[in-house]
Amino acid sequence: MNRPSSLKSRLWTGASVAVLGALLYALSSVFVPGAGAKAEKKTEKRVEKKPEKKKLSGAELYSMHCNRCHPERYPTERTAAQWKTILLHMRVRANLPAEQSQMILKYLQDNSGR
Amino acid sequence: MKTRSFALGCACICCALVVPLPVGTAAAIDDQQFNELKDLVTKLGQKIETQDQRIEQLEKTHAQDAQVHAQDQKTHEQDQQKIQELQQKLGETQQAVSNVQTAAIAVPVEPLPRVPLDEATVNHNFSILGDAEFQYAKTSGQHGTFLFADFAPIFLYRGGEKVLFEAGFDFGLQNNAPNSPGATTTINLSFAQLDYLMNDYVTLVAGDMVLPLGTYSERTAGWLNKIPDDPLPRDLLPGAGVGAQLRGAVPLGESGKLINYSVWGVNGASSADGTGNADQLDLGGNVGLRSDNAVANLHGKPSGGARVGWFMPFKPHYDLELGLSGQSGEWDNAGQHLWSAGVLDASLHLGSTVEVKGEYIRSCYGSDDHGNVRPEGWWLQASYKLVGLNLDWPVINNLELVNRYDSIHDGLGTRTRRYTLGYIYYFSNTLLFEGGYEFLHSNDPTQKDQLIFQLSYGF
Repeated sequence: MNRPSSLKSRLWTGASVAVLGALLYALSSVFVPGAGAKAEKKTEKRVEKKPEKKKLSGAELYSMHCNRCHPERYPTERTAAQWKTILLHMRVRANLPAEQSQMILKYLQDNSGR
Repeated sequence: MKTRSFALGCACICCALVVPLPVGTAAAIDDQQFNELKDLVTKLGQKIETQDQRIEQLEKTHAQDAQVHAQDQKTHEQDQQKIQELQQKLGETQQAVSNVQTAAIAVPVEPLPRVPLDEATVNHNFSILGDAEFQYAKTSGQHGTFLFADFAPIFLYRGGEKVLFEAGFDFGLQNNAPNSPGATTTINLSFAQLDYLMNDYVTLVAGDMVLPLGTYSERTAGWLNKIPDDPLPRDLLPGAGVGAQLRGAVPLGESGKLINYSVWGVNGASSADGTGNADQLDLGGNVGLRSDNAVANLHGKPSGGARVGWFMPFKPHYDLELGLSGQSGEWDNAGQHLWSAGVLDASLHLGSTVEVKGEYIRSCYGSDDHGNVRPEGWWLQASYKLVGLNLDWPVINNLELVNRYDSIHDGLGTRTRRYTLGYIYYFSNTLLFEGGYEFLHSNDPTQKDQLIFQLSYGF
């Protein structure tokens, strides 16, 4: 019987995946800035202290992210409501950060077909 | 007036008849005649009186008529004045309209501010995306053929702000088996998943999911690939799996850099005949339900997998993406053997004209008949859009040259290397005419050179 791994290693793999998943979720809620209301306040304070960097626009983020996988689509190709649904799909498929996804959506909706 | 004159005339005649008569003549008139005359005079007097009254009444009526006429005249004059005023106003309005039209032509129209649709009253949550392909292929030593027509819609339904259901189908057509007439249309479910945004950093995905082992499987539509065929080593990986996944991204600062991740558990690969023989490994199997409707997780434990990616943009169109992913789990029915795979992926964009991407894939699985089998492969693809040459030629600017080298070793002795030289002609940003020639070198005699043309459309 050829087995590349023993029962222990299989259990270890399963347990590792579960622990990693739980850790990621926990970290996102507790340590990642912006995950909770408290974190938002902290972020605001931090922004006040540091000099504000130039923030990327929705159009720039659109060029940056969408061009990774496909030729850019014209904002006029879809309606504002359609872009909302499509951006939700792309946020999941392309793993886009929430805030950047919102900025891209706003850019597309502002320049959409209807 | 005429009546009055007539009455006066009659009276005068009567007087003239009575007064100048001589006495002798008067004596000749008897009482009866006198009385008759008297009656006549009386009647005439009454008539005159009646006529006078009529005349007075007519005069009164006339005066009233004159008054009414005067009023009508006055009203008419007022109406005329009003008409003149209205005509003047109309002229002014026409002039104003003419002025506005002239100004509108002269000044560019500013678009109206866009107002989002009222979600409560209009349902625009349903959308269709997808792609369609039509392919012609000529394999060395065989007849050329229109190989397939493929339609692959993706249906999206957004349930509020945080929920999305998405399903992708694949409609294809193929010839029936040798010595069987006709052709068969096939419909495959590529994926069907429910996405729930738990927070800004975690999304729960459940269902039949496209697995992010590398990046190719999630970017596999015909209009996204720059070469019609999939890279050879992708055969070492499952494209989708039934299970659940957590995924998301964490931005690093404001420059667009980010780390993304996925962690999943799926039923995983299975054995086609249930045994642990190496050639029975079925990466697309074990979806949890058998064709006889029996629930069948063919082995005891699910597969687990994860991917971590790092996206580093320098500026729009200039970026580097690196990723590391893997999956492992039982594959035979007895649960005696593990199947595992690891993928290293990279993608580089230098401007809007240059793209380089590739993957290194290594797999390992235990088997009853060949012990540990270790397939591996890699592919590297580079493309360049000729618009970057800044030539003012109409066709050239729509062309992109692409080439790819891919290599696979199945771990059982078969090794294949392929070099593809191809092009893409962009009719538009979504309608592509792709073509390529594949040079194959393999110890498998069935693998041969191939010429492929494909028309791809993304919607």
